[in-house]
Amino acid sequence: MLKLAWRNLWRNRTRTLIIGSAVAFSYALMLISMGINDDSHRKMEQAAERAAGGAVLIHAAGYWESQASDMVIEAPEAVMDDARTVAGVRALVPRVAINGLVSSPRGNEPIRLTGMVPALEFLVDDLSQKLVDGQFLGDTHEAPIVLSQSMVEKLKLELGDKVVLTASTPDGEVTRALFHLDGVISSGIAGEANFLAYTTLEAAQKAVEMQGKLSQIGVLVGEVSEQERVAAALRKVFEARGGLEVLTWQQAIPEMKGLIEFDDAFGYIYLIVIFIIVLLAIANTFLMAVMERVREYGLLNAIGLSPARIGKLVIWESVLLALIAMVIGFAMGFSVHLIIDHVGINAADMGAGDMEMAGVSLADMIIRSELRPLKWLIGSCCVFAVVMVSALYPAWRATRLSPAQAMRFYE
Amino acid sequence: MKTTDGTPPLIRVRGVRRTYQQGLVEVHALRGVDLDISQGEFSALAGPSGSGKTTLLNMIGCLDQPSAGTVHIGDDDVTHLGRAEGAEYRLRHVGFIFQAYNLIPVLTAWENAEFVLLLQGIGELERRKILDPLFERVGLSDYKKRKPHEMSGGQQQRVAIVRALASRPQIVLADEPTANLDSATSASLLDLMLELNQEHGVTFVFSTHDAMVMERARRIVRLDSGEIVADEQGAALGVA
Repeated sequence: MLKLAWRNLWRNRTRTLIIGSAVAFSYALMLISMGINDDSHRKMEQAAERAAGGAVLIHAAGYWESQASDMVIEAPEAVMDDARTVAGVRALVPRVAINGLVSSPRGNEPIRLTGMVPALEFLVDDLSQKLVDGQFLGDTHEAPIVLSQSMVEKLKLELGDKVVLTASTPDGEVTRALFHLDGVISSGIAGEANFLAYTTLEAAQKAVEMQGKLSQIGVLVGEVSEQERVAAALRKVFEARGGLEVLTWQQAIPEMKGLIEFDDAFGYIYLIVIFIIVLLAIANTFLMAVMERVREYGLLNAIGLSPARIGKLVIWESVLLALIAMVIGFAMGFSVHLIIDHVGINAADMGAGDMEMAGVSLADMIIRSELRPLKWLIGSCCVFAVVMVSALYPAWRATRLSPAQAMRFYE
Repeated sequence: MKTTDGTPPLIRVRGVRRTYQQGLVEVHALRGVDLDISQGEFSALAGPSGSGKTTLLNMIGCLDQPSAGTVHIGDDDVTHLGRAEGAEYRLRHVGFIFQAYNLIPVLTAWENAEFVLLLQGIGELERRKILDPLFERVGLSDYKKRKPHEMSGGQQQRVAIVRALASRPQIVLADEPTANLDSATSASLLDLMLELNQEHGVTFVFSTHDAMVMERARRIVRLDSGEIVADEQGAALGVA
């Protein structure tokens, strides 16, 4: 039966090659798009995690929504000690966030200044990579500040120049603090994140009278998959303490989560449309093949092959075709996966140069390809199932042929 | 009912009618046919086109079901066998030879003949024991590996004979097996079938309007408009 199916497959080589190519290309396309999607989604998640400041964030209750300066984490050492008891917490990144106005003799600009511990902050995002001039929070100045290149140009500053920060303290008092320009960073995107500025934790706390207080603690987790569990555990730990909120980055930046989900859904819809077209094409071609062989099926039935076995014969042909096409498709898809993974696609070159979502920049994202074996396996099973489904109707038609009529089909 | 030689008939057809609906017209292919055929007969169903001979052959071979009446082969009532049961029955008891498209084009002569034995689940050694002598008998020992398109029409029909006999059936039904062959090939093929009929005792039933078939048949059942109009047995034909 298998031998007959195999030979039947090659009776009309052109037709077999056309169907096989359709399956192979669709399958390869699916693998390639899954690889690119998975890698870009992972990178978008990483970018979102960096932009949020960690996989999980700890704030004073209501801070993330209002960004109010009076919502602070009291006794942060005790909070961090409690957080360290939760399994899966890899690092804690303390921050003070200040929304204020930076002034130079040439003008004033709104900024969001983050006071940080560079060594810890670099675990989240190595901002020193974006340094274009000076140093990133060195010890030259007591109160160093790193500003964006466009901010520096607007305020016409030189390294070492003084700037004044005007901001509110947690008590609502307006305060001023002097900083020295220590470094200049560039994100490479026009207009993006120019208002972000950085200083040391101590300098920020001193500037807005937040000694012994924090605005935010970023939590890094060991595994991405652990963040929900870690967040839940932290909420439980802080339940008794009260006054704290724990957010995952997805809760903090739902727009990015939505974008990834939308992109994922779009990718699946795209694949489904391709599969439907392939399914109809294969079903049509198989049906033609069956109708061409009506007389032969009649003969097979006449010499003792049952209708069920005739149906199986058609199914076997599609199984063989699917397997051959999928082996070729896998080779094509895997080769392109390796090439993309090695070479990479610059998101900026693909028109994402100015793309920013909820403060997350996709500018310097190099998209590669990621192989998730389980997902590839499920995708492969789907392709195989599509080919099988497309052969079902022709197979059924083959089983319904009356042998007497089939034998007279061409008379 | 007994046949003329007194033995119970192998094939027993009683009151068989077959009506087709062709558009708005009702076509009566068979109009109450009664027929008995004995084991080992070499018979021909003869008649013009549309007389019902192929329809009757299909009823005997369970390829079609009568609108009324019964068909028995031996003790088996095969009147209303379904497609699957019919296929199984043919596999075990009936060999078919058609006028054309007899062989599976992608299989070799050997594989075509071997196919029914594979369906019967017969092992390779046994298959060789059955097929080798048959191929030798029909003079195609050197053609086993040829595909149908590499053989002449006569050779293809010989392979069909081998396949029909390979499963050691009780009956071989041949639907105008010589229609597409030249006279010499037809004569040679019919002589071969007659010899095999005598050697193996297998019942042959032909549907034909070929005079050469009728010359060799031991019995000719003539049909016209779906009815048997004459049944000429051995003595009447001048053959033993």
